[in-house]
Amino acid sequence: MIKYIIPASLGLILILLRAILFVIPEGRQAIITEFGRPVGEPITEAGLHAKMPFIQEVRFVDKRILSWDGFPNQIPTKDKKYIMVDTTARWRVVDALKFIQTVRNEVGAKARLDTIIDSTTRDIISNHNLVEAVRNSNQILERIREYEQEIEERKEQGENILEDEVTGEIEEIASGREKLSEMIVAQALEELSKLGIALIDVQLRRISYEESVEQKVYERMISERQRIAQKIRSIGQGEMRIIEGRMARDLERIRSEAYRKAQEIRGVADARATAIYAGSIRRDPQFYDFLRSMEAYDESLKGKTRFLLSSDSEFLKYLRSL
Amino acid sequence: MSQYGPFQNDWDKFRREIRKYSKLITLALGAIFTVITLATSFYTVAPEEEAVVIRLGRYLETTPPGLHFKLPFGIDREIKVKTKQILQAEFGFRSQDFSSRRTRYSQEDFDDESLMLTGDLNVADVEWVVQYQVADPFKFLFQTSSPETNIRDVSESIMRRVVGDRSVTEVLTTGRVEISQDARDLMQEVLDRYDLGVRIVTVKLQDVNPPDKVKPSFNEVNAAKQEQEQVINQAEERYNKVIPEARGNAQKMISEAEGHATRVVNRALGDAEKFNEIYNEYRKAPNLTRRRIYLETMEKLFNRFEDVTIVDPNVKGLLPVFGGQRLSPIPGEAQQ
Repeated sequence: MIKYIIPASLGLILILLRAILFVIPEGRQAIITEFGRPVGEPITEAGLHAKMPFIQEVRFVDKRILSWDGFPNQIPTKDKKYIMVDTTARWRVVDALKFIQTVRNEVGAKARLDTIIDSTTRDIISNHNLVEAVRNSNQILERIREYEQEIEERKEQGENILEDEVTGEIEEIASGREKLSEMIVAQALEELSKLGIALIDVQLRRISYEESVEQKVYERMISERQRIAQKIRSIGQGEMRIIEGRMARDLERIRSEAYRKAQEIRGVADARATAIYAGSIRRDPQFYDFLRSMEAYDESLKGKTRFLLSSDSEFLKYLRSL
Repeated sequence: MSQYGPFQNDWDKFRREIRKYSKLITLALGAIFTVITLATSFYTVAPEEEAVVIRLGRYLETTPPGLHFKLPFGIDREIKVKTKQILQAEFGFRSQDFSSRRTRYSQEDFDDESLMLTGDLNVADVEWVVQYQVADPFKFLFQTSSPETNIRDVSESIMRRVVGDRSVTEVLTTGRVEISQDARDLMQEVLDRYDLGVRIVTVKLQDVNPPDKVKPSFNEVNAAKQEQEQVINQAEERYNKVIPEARGNAQKMISEAEGHATRVVNRALGDAEKFNEIYNEYRKAPNLTRRRIYLETMEKLFNRFEDVTIVDPNVKGLLPVFGGQRLSPIPGEAQQ
């Protein structure tokens, strides 16, 4: 008989151990319930644990950071722009007991998260202008200011800048994206903490224009680009005219300067020549008159000339008589 | 023992049979047990992996590549994670097939992912990839329920935040490097807040474009820029063609004047010198020299003339000899 007792009791012990011991895997936590009633604190440590056999049961709850993915919502902003907002959130169970009592499990939690986060997001977004949800800081304004300053400086240094950046009015923001996320978290957190849930963050994953608005934005972008293109072209035309003007001016200057200089040179030389002539002629004007006349006759009366010579002429005086 | 009846016989028979084979059965069971034990006591970790060892649900250690021992029968379990591999998440596009030489991309466009608002409320189509590595396999496995989803969500959100702080021009042109850098840093910051055990290697911007409908007008701006440059270049070209030539002409004019000046002065000097020389001699015998010069000049002149007619003033009516037109060289007559 004793032969059978050993395996039987071994089996019994095994069954008992299985009822007493349980394993909590990493990433999970457990709550022990006694006839459905939770007993003691949740166990968050992974590993081998013990409970009362048969009367106590173990319920597992996730301990990890869980993701929540919201359905894209169409929300009007404070400045009456219709945008689609797609949010995601990360949350975790911090109070397993409350969690089990209020929402039972993750599916229940998701339903509650849907309503709470969606409505909070709607609240916050519709209380702010669109730019607050798009931009995070006023960095862009500083950039534009810096850019303008740089252009200004370079212009002062005489550099030829052809600016093409025409940006529309950019308003200052008070909060910005991250702040809005934080506001959503802060507001949702209160309700969620009643469910034993901690909200780690809400990310505004996508923000896009509603389709009809999108069309208008595209049209605006197109017209803005065309305006820029037009400006660039006319700057080019202006630049061309400037160069043409410079050319005309330089041309006139070069020509007139050359004329002036040439005339001056000629004048100086002629004056000097005159002075030279006068200097030597002064010694005997009459003789110069005679000599120069002789030279002039020689120079000007050329070969094929008919000449009538009066026999009265001085040259022929000896022809008449001695 | 006979009270158990005929069944007793069968039972005895069965036990005898068992006893007969018991050695064999024990041997077989032992062998199976040994094989299972051995098979569940060792595991190998590939070079690109690390293994997280879980003992009875609880994290024990992380082991490097190689052959390792563990407790058998599922007491120890190992989960292998490819920690050395660089993983990639794509946004706005999907590569489909890496096997051929040229990677194929999915024809679908993922506008939802890639269209985003810029700081000046324009729309840009931004495609990018995030490359990351598992830095801590244990955290990667157990810190969050789905690390890949978290990485994607955070990346989309951060990229929109970074792009949202810049103008569309900056996003499309000069800002690329800075955007990648900022997105990488911010993503890492957020993921560290989750303690996800992931290291972002790089964020790389791929195609960054204006939305398709707006593209032509962006091209028009580029065309306008080209046009502008062309117009300016042409004007410069004309300037460069005309001005140097004008300078040359000016120089020519001045040089000519200088030539003239030299000539005039030299002639004056020469003439003056000549006059002086002659005058010096002339002074010694004025009348004689005068006459000599007069006669010499006349001689030279008359020699040269084609026709010299000597007229006696006392003879009247000689003029008709020359005939009508031939008179013209005599200025006074021609005008009458």
